[in-house]
Amino acid sequence: MRPFKYTRATDVAAAAKTVSTNREAAFLAGGTNLLDLMKEGVAKPSELVDISGLAFSKIRSSGNVISIGSTAKNSDTANHALIRRNFPMLSQAILAGASAQIRNMATNGGNLMQRTRCTYFYDVNMPCNKREPGSGCGAMEGINKGHAIFGWSDKCIATNPSDMSVALMALDAVVKVSGADKKQRSIAFADFHRLPGDTPEKDNTLEPGEMITSIDIPMSSAGMAANSYYLKVRDRASYAFALVSVAAAFEIKGGSVAKARVALGSVSHKPWRCDQAEKLLTGKSLKDLNDASLRAAVDAELMDAKPLEHNGYKVELARRAMVLAFKRALKSEVVA
Amino acid sequence: MSEEKTVKNRKNKFIGENVNRIDGIFKVTGTARFATDWPVANVAYAVIAKAATAAGTISGIDSAAAEKAPGVIGVITHKNAPKLTPAGNLSGGSVLQDAKIEFFGQHSAVVVAETFEQAQAAAEMIKFTYAKAEARVNFDELIKTAQKSPSPARADVVRGDFEKAYSAAEHKLDAVYETPIEHHQPMEPHSTIAMWEGDNLTIYNPSQVVMGMRGAMATVFGLKPEQVRVITPHIGGGFGAKGGAWGNTALAAMAAKVVKRPVKLALTRQQMVNSVGLRQKNVQRMRLGADATGKLAAIAHETSTHTGTTSQFVEGCGDVSAMTYAVPNSLISYKTTAMNVISPTFVRGPGKAPGSFALECAIDELAYSLKMDPIEFRLKNEPDKDPANGRPWSSRSVVECLRRGSEMFGWKNRKMEPRQVRNGEFLVGSGVAVGSYPARQQGTSAIAKLTRKGTDVEATVELAASDLGTGTHTILAQIAAETLDLPISRISVKIGDSSLPPAAGSVGSVGAASFSNAVSEVCLQCISELQARSPKSSGPSDPVPVNVAELMSEANLTEFQTRVDARPPAQAGQYSSHSFNANFAEVWVNEQTGMIRVNRMVAVTGAGRILNPKTTRSQILGGCIWGIGMALHEESILDPRWGNFVTRTFADYHIPVNLDIGTIDVAFVAEEDKIVNKLGVKGVGEVGIVGVAAAVANAVFNATGKRIRKLPITPDKLM
Amino acid sequence: MSDNFPELVDELTADEAELLEEVLSDLGESRRKFIGQSSTAVLGAVVLQFLAKRTALAGEEMAEFVPLGDEQAVKVSFRVNDAAKSVSVDSRMTLLDALREKLALTGTKKGCDHGQCGACTVMMDGRRVLSCLTLTAQCEGRSVTTIEGVAKGDVLHPMQTAFIKHDGFQCGFCTPGQICSAIGLMHEARNGELSYVSKDMRKTAASITLSDEEIRERMSGNLCRCGAYPNIVAAIREVHTGKATDPMAVIFDMSKEGSDATV
Ligand SMILES: Cc1cc2nc3c(=O)[nH]c(=O)nc-3n(C[C@H](O)[C@H](O)[C@H](O)COP(=O)(O)OP(=O)(O)OC[C@H]3O[C@@H](n4cnc5c(N)ncnc54)[C@H](O)[C@@H]3O)c2cc1C
Ligand code: SF4
Ligand code: FES
Ligand code: FES
Repeated sequence: MRPFKYTRATDVAAAAKTVSTNREAAFLAGGTNLLDLMKEGVAKPSELVDISGLAFSKIRSSGNVISIGSTAKNSDTANHALIRRNFPMLSQAILAGASAQIRNMATNGGNLMQRTRCTYFYDVNMPCNKREPGSGCGAMEGINKGHAIFGWSDKCIATNPSDMSVALMALDAVVKVSGADKKQRSIAFADFHRLPGDTPEKDNTLEPGEMITSIDIPMSSAGMAANSYYLKVRDRASYAFALVSVAAAFEIKGGSVAKARVALGSVSHKPWRCDQAEKLLTGKSLKDLNDASLRAAVDAELMDAKPLEHNGYKVELARRAMVLAFKRALKSEVVA
Repeated sequence: MSEEKTVKNRKNKFIGENVNRIDGIFKVTGTARFATDWPVANVAYAVIAKAATAAGTISGIDSAAAEKAPGVIGVITHKNAPKLTPAGNLSGGSVLQDAKIEFFGQHSAVVVAETFEQAQAAAEMIKFTYAKAEARVNFDELIKTAQKSPSPARADVVRGDFEKAYSAAEHKLDAVYETPIEHHQPMEPHSTIAMWEGDNLTIYNPSQVVMGMRGAMATVFGLKPEQVRVITPHIGGGFGAKGGAWGNTALAAMAAKVVKRPVKLALTRQQMVNSVGLRQKNVQRMRLGADATGKLAAIAHETSTHTGTTSQFVEGCGDVSAMTYAVPNSLISYKTTAMNVISPTFVRGPGKAPGSFALECAIDELAYSLKMDPIEFRLKNEPDKDPANGRPWSSRSVVECLRRGSEMFGWKNRKMEPRQVRNGEFLVGSGVAVGSYPARQQGTSAIAKLTRKGTDVEATVELAASDLGTGTHTILAQIAAETLDLPISRISVKIGDSSLPPAAGSVGSVGAASFSNAVSEVCLQCISELQARSPKSSGPSDPVPVNVAELMSEANLTEFQTRVDARPPAQAGQYSSHSFNANFAEVWVNEQTGMIRVNRMVAVTGAGRILNPKTTRSQILGGCIWGIGMALHEESILDPRWGNFVTRTFADYHIPVNLDIGTIDVAFVAEEDKIVNKLGVKGVGEVGIVGVAAAVANAVFNATGKRIRKLPITPDKLM
Repeated sequence: MSDNFPELVDELTADEAELLEEVLSDLGESRRKFIGQSSTAVLGAVVLQFLAKRTALAGEEMAEFVPLGDEQAVKVSFRVNDAAKSVSVDSRMTLLDALREKLALTGTKKGCDHGQCGACTVMMDGRRVLSCLTLTAQCEGRSVTTIEGVAKGDVLHPMQTAFIKHDGFQCGFCTPGQICSAIGLMHEARNGELSYVSKDMRKTAASITLSDEEIRERMSGNLCRCGAYPNIVAAIREVHTGKATDPMAVIFDMSKEGSDATV
């Protein structure tokens, strides 16, 4: 690890300024991803601006949104009464990630910003366009069991590993950011992470120096609280990244699906929103929800999947996991 | 020396009791010292830089930046390294003796600096250029041209006429079972503090074989063995990886010599995958033939595997097929191909663990095709003597293990046909498999020292044994206390130091038998020698009650010590001695996600005398969990283009976590083995894992109807 | 809790005897006094006095430490096992390395250095965290408790006692992390915090009693390669529920035991 300067930020604008002017500077929140990458030699910041002391650690209700502070810890977020009551699927998704110790350290902003777990990205001896643009993609012709089946490019086939983000995608969250010039913007969750295209080094649409201040979830999504589920499938029972994960949430009104939100994790460079499936499920009467109809919705979504050499299983796994997540979310509402 | 197998008439009874670990207090307070925990003044920090190519030579090294980096006090490469005498796994490349590269991640430089951070940063700055040679790293391709193993230990073993019996057999099975490369990954990465005083070397280094490490360092540095001292009272797990000497230890000593200061060198977790050996990938073709009644007529166990390029080590997968069942016609063979990987070595249950996966799944498959209960099938083929060599068993408890286990497990409720039991989203299935591991005692010396103050006697037993979590400290204290009839609090156990009397290693399940017999003998000898000196005593008369305090005071002694060089009993070689087990697993398979949980297991073991059921049970639990990891999680993958492992970290190389493990019941069957050694102790370190993966895989078949012959059984394989 | 295991016996290994000798001479005591005192409580007390002493001493050593070379130095004031520390460290130095290499608190272990094993678990302001992914610089104003500091005065923490009774370790390398993690887990359960296997996220409770499945999930961030998991669960269950169990018990009726697989 190269030497770096460590400073504790006291105000957002100054911190943002430092990071936007020094391209080698980075925000440090919980450190659970950044430090790991620095030890691997993947990240080499010359300066770390510790933002954990900034006043973004609150989770509160404001108007028609629940606003989740970017420096609030993952564990505090998952356990917060407002989240548990309104967005239990988010609690589940956060708790499905990492370990208790890591969740006690990790922040929400950091969680959204965490980088791919692609093993070639992590090993500096390997080619990787995301780590070193132009060096080639080690995974493309390599071992790609964990890689994307949607939205990949010939430059990068990595997946986004965040569990939390999959739930936030399904909950129609909005990411609030603040830049060096104190300019604030709101980014719809679907626009926050990006597909690799020709620039896989960019995971998201933040500008240099922009800092996430909060993640806002509309209260309208709370209508799905009773019928939501986050399912994570992995190679061991816990403390492992997903092979495939599903966030499924439904609002049931008068015996039918008034609203359906579905997202898949670990299948693409970004959390994968399943519009096709949502469309097919919305408006369905509960009594028409059975294995066949759920499966039809899922199949429509997976038609465009493009598996690679080693990850063909993900298509079938996603298919089954989605149906299972739907059933767990709908609980007694479905008879099938 | 007393002929008694054990002592009698003692007030202090510890042998066979559930004594808590005597070193437990230190382990729960963080005061047990592992290698890098020793406070050593003026220590410098070393970090290894590794090769990023799998074959060829280092053609250039740019270390200028590293040498100038802050805090750096030494950069060692093959260009300036002191000349050593490579031996064994300390092959030339691994200790910087030449430019040759044998595998991806071979040690290529050592950087020493004032702090760890500085050494690590400087190590990153070294740039190597390579003259690359074609690397042999694509297993699937290489295995096609594998040749008979040149190792004499792996020559064909032929009994009867396999081909003839097999082709005549009514029921046949021909299937291929595959196990991947696995890593030991003990929780304590290999790490060393090395220091020189003149030409004498002291290393704090986790070593399963204390004297072996001393010998290896002496050879490599051209020293007399007495000039090397290895200190290793606690070892943070080893599982075979800390049995031999690997380059890292020699490099620590080399670095200390170069910078003339004590040096601390710990491998990183990522470096573990290509520094300390591995379990090779095995492709095992099994052919079994049986008659209509389920009597086995023929068995062939043909293993195709790889070695490293610098060693011919091949684990003996076929061993289990030679001795587990009574089969008149058998063939065991090995084909190997050399690969540019770190040399394969012993890993928990060497040979037997992967071998039993193949054999015990094959047995299950054949039993199923015969519509026979797999336990009944096994009982039918139970051998009355060791089929491998015709020798009588010193004791054998497979039948008893199976009987006891099936009772505990409730085997009678198991359905023979798969997919019969469902619980909500889960398919439930049960499987069984047996295992065994040879039991041996090896020569071990020990000293017992007694000191007396009034009527109070304290005893210390000293031997260069090791404790890697196996409970050596505790069982030796138990034996000494009971034999000398003293409270256990009066016993000190000094082990893990090569300046003590030479002992066997904690490898191949020889540790407990070798150490405990030596300590038992030295304590008995104490008594008989004291009795001989005591004017009142009528000579050696154990087993009558002894009072060492009285004996010492009669002989007017305040200090006494004696030593034995214990040897295995002569008759042991005429028998076949093994530990045995039966493993039962119940798996719950989520039919949709393919995630598998071993919800409960029963492991019944026959391993002679159990010195401490509590610590022994723990070792069996460990074996079961290793077996579950082998069945469901563990797999190391080489990228066939470059020969690097893509499974370098604990995030990529999965071992079981707490939630993967359900309830495990452990039981021991009483085995009184008067032949294997005086105390009748076999070992449990290895046997615990043998058969477990097969029990799990058989249970997965019973649950799902899917026979997975390629480990690990991950969700993708059930799609 | 120590009442629960009358059969406990302790003795020192050579190095530990040496270490104890060193401590005791510091404390003006002789080891002899403790020989024959075979209860954990007494021996524990000695070890704990030693730890207190070591922690105090560590402060003095630390004050001397200035990073060598041009590295960026950071000044940090924090508490370690209830003692105030004010140190200047290389900005790259993790809390784990500061504890081990500078504060002589080697109980905390480095199993992976990348957040993937839990061996380095310590408590920060009462919550379990990983010291290998924490920069010392991030500890300003914080209070850190390591394995050396979990006992209260002269008495072992019940979790330490339970780990001994239930043989919750083999090699012992993961143990400091397991114990710190288990203590953290108890706090979390008392606060009614959830895990992924909790049945209902929406149901809130002040404090929850954990099933074995819950304990397993919540301890899954601590790898144990020796495979002590069932014993670790037994130790935690005993402390968490207050019900003493037989460490050698065979479960037999496991149909009930296994029934809550959730993933
Ligand atoms: C062993 C292990 C297992 C894990 N398993 C999982 C898992 O199963 N599922 C899962 O989802 N995650 C998992 N994680 C990842 C973990 O959730 C993330 O590391 C964590 O959420 C990152 O948060 P942090 O605060 O520590 O971020 P940091 O490491 O501090 O920062 C990460 C990145 O985000 C940037 N950043 C931080 N805060 C902000 C902000 N407010 N605005 C802009 N940029 C910011 C930093 O500059 C840095 O680039 C695992 C991690 C480890 C080490
Ligand atoms: S998939 Fe993306 S992250 Fe992985 S090696 Fe290719 S470019 Fe790098
Ligand atoms: S050393 Fe920190 S998690 Fe492994
Ligand atoms: S006790 Fe050895 S790793 Fe847990």
